[in-house]
Amino acid sequence: MSVVDPVSPLGNTLVPGRHGAAGDGAVRIAERRCDLVQVFARKGRAGDVAAAMLARFGSDLPGPGHTFDAPAFSALWVQPDGWLLVAPRSPEGALAKSIKAACGDTASVVEQTHGRSVIALSGGRAAWVLGKLSSLDLHGREFGPGRAAVSPVAGLSCVVHHRDAAPSYDLIVFATFARWFVTSLTHAAEETGYIVE
Amino acid sequence: MTQGFRTQTGGRIDRSQTLAFRFDGRSYAGHPGDTLASALLANGVRLVGRSFKLHRPRGIFSAGAEEPNALAELRGGARREPNTRMTTAELYDGLEAASQNRWPSLRWDLLSLNGLIAPLLSAGFYYKTFMWPAAFWEKVYEPLIRRSAGLGRAAREPDPDRYDAVQAHCDVLVVGSGAAGLAAARVAGAAGARVTLCEQDFALGGGLLSAPAHGAWREATLAALAAMPDVTILPRTTVFGYYDHNVVGAVERVADHLAQPPPHTPRQRYWTIRARSIVLATGAHERLIAFPDNDRPGIMLAGAAETYASRFGVRAGSRALLFANNDAAYASLFALQDAGIAVAGVVDPRTESAGAEAARARGITVWADSQVTGASGGTALVGARVARRGAGGGDTLVVADLLCVSGGHSPAVQLASQGRTPLEWSEALAAHVPGPATLDQHSAGAANGVLGFAEAAADGARAGAAAARAAAADIPLPGAGDAAYGLLPFWEADVPGKAFVDLQDDVTANDIRLAHREGYKHIEHAKRYTTHTMGTDQGKSGGLVGAAVLAAARGERVQDVGLPTFRPFTSPVTWGAIAGPHIGQQFAPTRLTALYDWHVRRGAEFMDAGQWLRPAFYPIPADADAWASVLREARAVRKTVGICDVSTLGKIDVQGADSAAFLDRLYTNTFSTLPVGRARYGLMLREDGIVFDDGTTSRLATDHFFVTTTTANAGPVMAHMEFHLQTCWPELDVQLASVSDQWAGMSIAGPKARATIGKIVQDLDLSDAAFPFMAVGDGSVRGCPVRVLRISFSGEQAYEIMTPAGYAETVWTAVLEAGEEYAITPYGLEALGLLRIEKGHVAGSELNGQTTAADLGLGRMVKKRGDFVGRALSQRPGLTDPDRPVLVGIRPATRHDRLRAGAHLVTPGSTESLGWITSVTRAVELEGWIGLAMLRGGAARQGSRMQAAFPMLDETVEVEITSPHFVDAENLRVRG
Amino acid sequence: MIRIACPFCGLRDETEFAYRGDATVSRPPADAPIEDFHDYVYRRANPRGWHVEWWHHAGGCRQFLKVVRHTMTHAVHSVGLASSTQVVPPE
Repeated sequence: MSVVDPVSPLGNTLVPGRHGAAGDGAVRIAERRCDLVQVFARKGRAGDVAAAMLARFGSDLPGPGHTFDAPAFSALWVQPDGWLLVAPRSPEGALAKSIKAACGDTASVVEQTHGRSVIALSGGRAAWVLGKLSSLDLHGREFGPGRAAVSPVAGLSCVVHHRDAAPSYDLIVFATFARWFVTSLTHAAEETGYIVE
Repeated sequence: MTQGFRTQTGGRIDRSQTLAFRFDGRSYAGHPGDTLASALLANGVRLVGRSFKLHRPRGIFSAGAEEPNALAELRGGARREPNTRMTTAELYDGLEAASQNRWPSLRWDLLSLNGLIAPLLSAGFYYKTFMWPAAFWEKVYEPLIRRSAGLGRAAREPDPDRYDAVQAHCDVLVVGSGAAGLAAARVAGAAGARVTLCEQDFALGGGLLSAPAHGAWREATLAALAAMPDVTILPRTTVFGYYDHNVVGAVERVADHLAQPPPHTPRQRYWTIRARSIVLATGAHERLIAFPDNDRPGIMLAGAAETYASRFGVRAGSRALLFANNDAAYASLFALQDAGIAVAGVVDPRTESAGAEAARARGITVWADSQVTGASGGTALVGARVARRGAGGGDTLVVADLLCVSGGHSPAVQLASQGRTPLEWSEALAAHVPGPATLDQHSAGAANGVLGFAEAAADGARAGAAAARAAAADIPLPGAGDAAYGLLPFWEADVPGKAFVDLQDDVTANDIRLAHREGYKHIEHAKRYTTHTMGTDQGKSGGLVGAAVLAAARGERVQDVGLPTFRPFTSPVTWGAIAGPHIGQQFAPTRLTALYDWHVRRGAEFMDAGQWLRPAFYPIPADADAWASVLREARAVRKTVGICDVSTLGKIDVQGADSAAFLDRLYTNTFSTLPVGRARYGLMLREDGIVFDDGTTSRLATDHFFVTTTTANAGPVMAHMEFHLQTCWPELDVQLASVSDQWAGMSIAGPKARATIGKIVQDLDLSDAAFPFMAVGDGSVRGCPVRVLRISFSGEQAYEIMTPAGYAETVWTAVLEAGEEYAITPYGLEALGLLRIEKGHVAGSELNGQTTAADLGLGRMVKKRGDFVGRALSQRPGLTDPDRPVLVGIRPATRHDRLRAGAHLVTPGSTESLGWITSVTRAVELEGWIGLAMLRGGAARQGSRMQAAFPMLDETVEVEITSPHFVDAENLRVRG
Repeated sequence: MIRIACPFCGLRDETEFAYRGDATVSRPPADAPIEDFHDYVYRRANPRGWHVEWWHHAGGCRQFLKVVRHTMTHAVHSVGLASSTQVVPPE
């Protein structure tokens, strides 16, 4: 299946090029096309799910506020006994199927590839730009690579994944809000300038 | 024009550069480092405005945020900003400012005749004067008041500048950068705390800026702070509010000191700062003294005159007289003398003081045990009358063009008080000081009642250490000075006359006494009756003086009368800053379905549906009007086939071993009996027995359901499920996930629906036998995965096709191509509504938070066995009353009459409403208008006639009460 | 603005949460008399002082938390899980 490439919910909202203020403080904004799968441990089966995920994918299931980078995906804690897996695009539904196959009835698996958009924000002033839209404390003492938080960004439900020290953030939002979200983000980034590739 | 009042040396201005500016159309010059006020004073401008109510001439009274008089309209056109305090407006080249409240000009203000009718404008004047007749208010009183009273004019065009908002966190927030604030920040920063320091001024240092002797300490401390990576310093940033849990609001004036902001730079930034601990080093406000005509231009707070001399190199007058009750004010006078201003003397209500001694040593005349009994001069001060206290007669006129006033200093406790710190009375200061804080909050320096730079810095260091939870670091402190204060509480000269306690609101001591006599004895009542402290300056210089006048009238002590509650905003904040980026399209989030671009290309008219932007209809050139489009679209569904984007439906993925049991407890119907591959219409009640939401639920596996909700209730239903799962039945094995965004949905409805999608849906047998009404199955369309549900909202044969959102347009286009031979027609929200009303399906207007299942004709969906949310209370007598309004259909007796939603149903000759119309539409299945209504005794009234009254349009229409099902009441078509 | 220390997510703004009312009442068993349901839905102590209440971390981990909040000062004494028993401090 999937002879057709799925269409991004962003349409033409992100215009490639350099925008906003000049200077060397520009941040980078891009859409990352990813596979997204939610995994929930069934009641009392968190240990079984963790064992299955470790055995099949070499992945730890991280605790609150943390992430784990497995070879095939990053696992982000999003709620008690609930994780969001983020992976490079693969054939439609393949990741969810492989997770379900590994976990069986110890886990509930929900395909969200089309339900969420991953917006990458990076650069030296990324925290400043993100701080206009998020009330998370992004200071290095409180947040950093390998951390994730579920918290509103631009007033919208969002998973903020601090991926690396650049810093790079993945901002994972509901797809039907993605255009409005990106418009808010680019608006906030005009002061520093931003680059869309 | 030359800066005739500028000193040759001294101050923190850059005399090497000249800035040109205009005030009321005249050109002047100033220097970098000036405020508009200091530059005007340097140019000898004394008259800068007219007062709010009485149009009295006013001059610059202060040198800071407490300014009551010197308000200007800054800039022009769309950037015109009224009520800007000249004392805080930073001068820039090309600045344009205009005085306010004068007509036709500042010097010849015809409305100053208001002064002659002042008795009419006393306390509570508008409650008394403008009461009757009512018609006069709009025609006479209001235009009069609008012209004569009021502040500046707001711009009429949209603000062209951008305003930003920032969320911030710190360990220690320090408010104020005077000696105490700088010391606190340095100690906290040295202890490793993350520190944010906010200063409302454009220059850091507070009172230190007027104290050249401490310049080196200031420089050294700022350098130390700059070297600390976790210390953030925000100049031009006013903390205006202190909220719960140590959250403060502040506005940074990023580009107010420029003619216009550089590209992409906001004019102002709204900071929301969350601080673990807060140090309030906000300083103190000098107080005025009430005496007759104490508002004349040339009368100024003593500390302000010192600031103009020491910080700005400006002589605020040529010959200065001081009226003060404390020794600190003498130091101000000496600074003026050192700046070359002649000194006329000092009037001091105290009999003896250290200050008087020091003054005499400088050859200054001191009138001890004396008071100022009046001021002479109209638009400029020419002198003041001085008399011994208590002794009758015998005024002396002292010639002076600058009268410096100091009634003492009130710690700036506004933020501490907002931050839940009780205030205590200091006898030494005759002012309120912060008591023990309840939050993690530390007042320091003058804000804490500690006077003197050395003492304030030491207090700041203590507060900084406490805030950082560290031992006090050993930081250098400024050298000690003379801390003599010796204040004698003195609020008002005891002579008759117009003695102001609030310059901005034109409130006099007599107004306070009048309020008291008329029963407004509580400080909060007196405030509102007189408007005392209600101006942009919030009574910073006269608030306590007014309270003291009220206390005297009540025969009580000032501390027993208290102060009105301090609330945000301590200083004015622009609407632009409050709105921030949330303007225009960014006002609130907009939600778009995956088919939005297709709808745009198709020329849809959009409408707001909650946060969603949905197609209302798709006009074509042949359509005469919107109704023509809507009726055309609806007819297509009834006659052949239509397609509608229903992606906005809420969708919830429910999994787990106990999913079926969970849904049984949430819905009035039973889902545990639903076979895999089938859907069921479900009804959900609130716990009080009222209908909450409806939708279809499909069973995908024994332990897996796909629930849909109404568009409006997608979020609330999810929260409702989570609440019950987590708090009522935590033992259940159920996992919930919102998949509203994962799946796009389209409804294909009409007699040719199956014929259409049958051509393109693969891997799924759609034959009536294999896929009957309410069947659910997975298949594919052009390689895209789809989930097909055979359900109908319109009453026609219909299917919903769900597909992962990224494939929506591919699938939608495939359906359109397949339906081409039937002239498949996309239909919007309006036609959708029309069709459901014809079919008698309830929606938001009927699910209005007041209706039960039985009211809506859905009683048969309520199971008789087993518990579910809302079961018990739905059986209350009030909800089972057979006389409750129930759902009926409505048609006008005369077919071309129009129905209106909201009309009340009455019997002829009666005014008793027996029900109301909830939804109306023009029909396609029938002729004319139809509607749904909630009607008492509705079942029995079917077939009878009533009147639909719409009093707002004075309209009454005779209507026929019918079944709510106008189309296919036997429900045959959906199974066809 | 109230700040609530979510046991999972840490200290977060009030705006991330949705208030869901009194957490001292609990849903009666299915066979309870209608009066019990009436009390569950309608009867509230409405205290001036400490109050145990539900706050839904709707913008975060989606958990219903038991928050002990002072209705006069908005001080938050403690935050617990739905399953926890929160101790109410003396006034």
